[in-house]
Amino acid sequence: MRLTLPLNTLKARVAVGEGALVIGIIIIALIGVAALRTLGETVTRELAGLTRMADVTNGLVVALFDELRAGEQYLTDQSSAARDAFQSAGEESYEHQGQLRAFAELTEADRLLIARIGQLQADVEVWYSLAHAQVDLGRRSAAVATATAVRGRAEELLNLVQDFSAAQRSRTEAIARSLEQTSAERRLLVWTVLAASILAGVAVGVATLRSVERPLTRLETAARRFAEGDLRPVTLGKMPEELQALGDAMARVSTKLRSLVADVVSEGERIASTATDLSAISEQLAATAGEISTAMIDISGGAEQQVKELEQSTAAIDELRMAAEQSGAMADRVAALGDEIHRLAARYQEDVAAAGNALLELGEVVQTSSGQVEELDKLSEAVYDFVELIKRISSQTNLLALNAAIEAARAGEGGLGFAIVAEEVQQLADSSAQAAEEITQTLQSVRTQVTDVSGTMASGRSKVRGVETIAQGAARALEEIVRAIKEVELAARRVREEAARNLEAAERIKGEIASASTAAQAHASSSGQVSAAAEQQGASTEEMAAQTSQLTEAAEHLRSLVKGFRL
Amino acid sequence: MRMASRFLISLACVSALSLGACISRDEPILIGLAGPFSQPRGASMQHAAELAVTEINQRGGVRGRPFVLVIRDDSAAADVAVGVARDLYDTPGLVAVIGHLSSGASIAAAPIYNSGPDPVVTISPSASSPQLSGAGSYTFRVCPDDLVHGRRLAEWAWTQLGARSAAVIFENDEYGRGVRSAFSQSFTAFGGSVASEDPYVPAIPSFEPYLQRLARRGGVDALVIAGTTGGAERIVDTADSLGLGYRVLGSDGVAGLEAAPVNADGVFIAAAYLPDRRGSRNEAFLTAYQQVHGDELPDHRGAGAYDIVHLLAQAIEAVGTNRSEIRDYLAGVGTSTPAFEGVTGTIAFDENGDVPNKDVIIGVVRNRRLVTAAGQ
Repeated sequence: MRLTLPLNTLKARVAVGEGALVIGIIIIALIGVAALRTLGETVTRELAGLTRMADVTNGLVVALFDELRAGEQYLTDQSSAARDAFQSAGEESYEHQGQLRAFAELTEADRLLIARIGQLQADVEVWYSLAHAQVDLGRRSAAVATATAVRGRAEELLNLVQDFSAAQRSRTEAIARSLEQTSAERRLLVWTVLAASILAGVAVGVATLRSVERPLTRLETAARRFAEGDLRPVTLGKMPEELQALGDAMARVSTKLRSLVADVVSEGERIASTATDLSAISEQLAATAGEISTAMIDISGGAEQQVKELEQSTAAIDELRMAAEQSGAMADRVAALGDEIHRLAARYQEDVAAAGNALLELGEVVQTSSGQVEELDKLSEAVYDFVELIKRISSQTNLLALNAAIEAARAGEGGLGFAIVAEEVQQLADSSAQAAEEITQTLQSVRTQVTDVSGTMASGRSKVRGVETIAQGAARALEEIVRAIKEVELAARRVREEAARNLEAAERIKGEIASASTAAQAHASSSGQVSAAAEQQGASTEEMAAQTSQLTEAAEHLRSLVKGFRL
Repeated sequence: MRMASRFLISLACVSALSLGACISRDEPILIGLAGPFSQPRGASMQHAAELAVTEINQRGGVRGRPFVLVIRDDSAAADVAVGVARDLYDTPGLVAVIGHLSSGASIAAAPIYNSGPDPVVTISPSASSPQLSGAGSYTFRVCPDDLVHGRRLAEWAWTQLGARSAAVIFENDEYGRGVRSAFSQSFTAFGGSVASEDPYVPAIPSFEPYLQRLARRGGVDALVIAGTTGGAERIVDTADSLGLGYRVLGSDGVAGLEAAPVNADGVFIAAAYLPDRRGSRNEAFLTAYQQVHGDELPDHRGAGAYDIVHLLAQAIEAVGTNRSEIRDYLAGVGTSTPAFEGVTGTIAFDENGDVPNKDVIIGVVRNRRLVTAAGQ
């Protein structure tokens, strides 16, 4: 059942399936109409021929009887009326024989029979004419003897005419049988075409459903795997163009997500380690600040020691500045990484959106297809009307046949042949009505099929919606990643700011320590200032430590987010 | 099959040229001949047809092939004729039929010759019933129909014999009834009265009651016999024995009465052909005929059959032995091809296969010979 036609799209498949059904139904309609028409014409023609032949035969029988009766009558009563009747009936009888000979459908046996009838009639006529002449001459007994001599042939003549009538009756039956056979053949033809078109329609329908259902199931499985975080490559196989676009989009999304998640994971790791480093430096800074603070308190205690301590303090401050600078550089790197992740995520978001659009299109296609299926349903409605017409025609034919039967009955013996035909016509009309009923049932089953197809299409639509939801979930996850990255950036910026402020503070301390060392002894108040600055720096360092721990938290969050993906 | 055998035959011809023998040239052309040859009226038809075939074969046949007659006796009976027609129709290699002689047989057989896959031409020398007109496109005849005969007899009785009353005794078949109607209509139209119309069949026990009744009712000026030789013989004999002195006229079917052992002198007979017809063509025919059959003279059936054989030879020479092509050729004789000049006169067919331009002449029996009557 592989079709070689270009059936790559669902539209094409549905169109071909519907087309096959509609064409089949149209062909059935045409064949049905043609069959009924030719059958009607044949019946009319055969009936006309039979009726004419029956008329002529009846005429012949009546004329022969009249002639014989008049011939006998003249023997007892020499009236000119009897003589005229004898002659005119004889002529009429020959005329009927001539008309009979003109019928092309006569068999050779019929022709022999007619020839024999003509000869017997000629003999009988001659004998009666002779007997009439004898009666006219007053030779009554001779006349009776002549008439008696021909009675055997007269009887044979009447028997032959009756034989001919019987032969006609059997011909009528043969014609009726052949008409019945013709009608049966036509019916078989209509059924065959109907069955073939239903098979074709069902086959294309099944193929279409399969071509939709199988890829949809594969897509669904793939989407479910994505949803579960399994981003390993999937093989979707061949599918209709509309679904192929979706499948391609999913494959692209999976590839890009895979590389994105891999980037995010590695960048996350690096951020985490940077944060750990930052945290260590901050602790170091805090320790140094503590030392400064202690040193300042010592400074305010003793001047001599103060110089020495100040020198130490300058060294510590230098160390502090260096650490702050390092921390700023690290924060810069974190910010740059965040930017990179942000850009990647934004681009993949577009791909996911494109995949969503492809799904929407697919939904529309399925919608259109079910519209077309409903259209098909309406078409079969029209065929119902046509079948109704056939039913009406056959009931009218039935009525006509009944009338004909009544007319035939009224005609008596002569209408016997015609009555059989009328009965056959009635049976034919019944068969037509029955055939129409059977077509109605078949159409009902076609409509059931159509309803099934639209049900399957609706389920296809809901499956598409499922895939859509999953894609939206992926989009949301991406958005969340973007938000998390923004948090990381924010945290990094704050770390950088705090580091800058630390640096500034350290420079200021350094300057103030320098001025303190030149005028150490007299500047007890200055050392108070330094102490305050050192405390401020301590607070700033704590702030930085807090920010660093926030950065660590963000990095952890990011790591937990990407941990669910299998790459 | 037939093509293949012809091809083989031509091959055989080529290979046998040196020996001067060729199968296909010897293969005969079959022509059917149907009529009541067991009865006296059929004799002349058979003799003349055989004479014509002999003449044709002596001059080398047609297209190098000899004519052979397939002779079938129909007893002039309709039912026998149907069987004969079927037999001839189905005879392989038969291309045309001459016949049937009588109207009844021709009418009964016509549907068979005209139907089926390969209809065959029939040309009757003497079937004169008007009912044969239009019996089919393959049905032809070379004699005038009964209407012409009946009219001519009525005209002769009224004008030449001065008859004012007439009686008809007719043979009860298509032919006899046809002539009877035609005569009675024409004679009545002239102003004459028809006293009686009595039928007979060859098996009739006696004509005496008819003739006696006629005499009892005052007699008539003319007694018309619309029938055939056998019946006419008995009627003339009976009338003679009853002493009835009516002028007797007979239709062409009566021809042959002149040779019958009865006193038929003075009986008028209508005929499409009489042996004393003038013209070198007829003289040659008579000479040839009498060379074979002595004193016997051909009648209109014989002369017609003789013309038909020569006409068929001309047709087959022109178009070959295909049945339908022969028919088409014959249908055009007198229109698309020139009329055929035969011993019975000019033959030109109309659309019914009849010869409307042929006239009927009146013969009279003189010394056991039928000669052209004076006054025409």
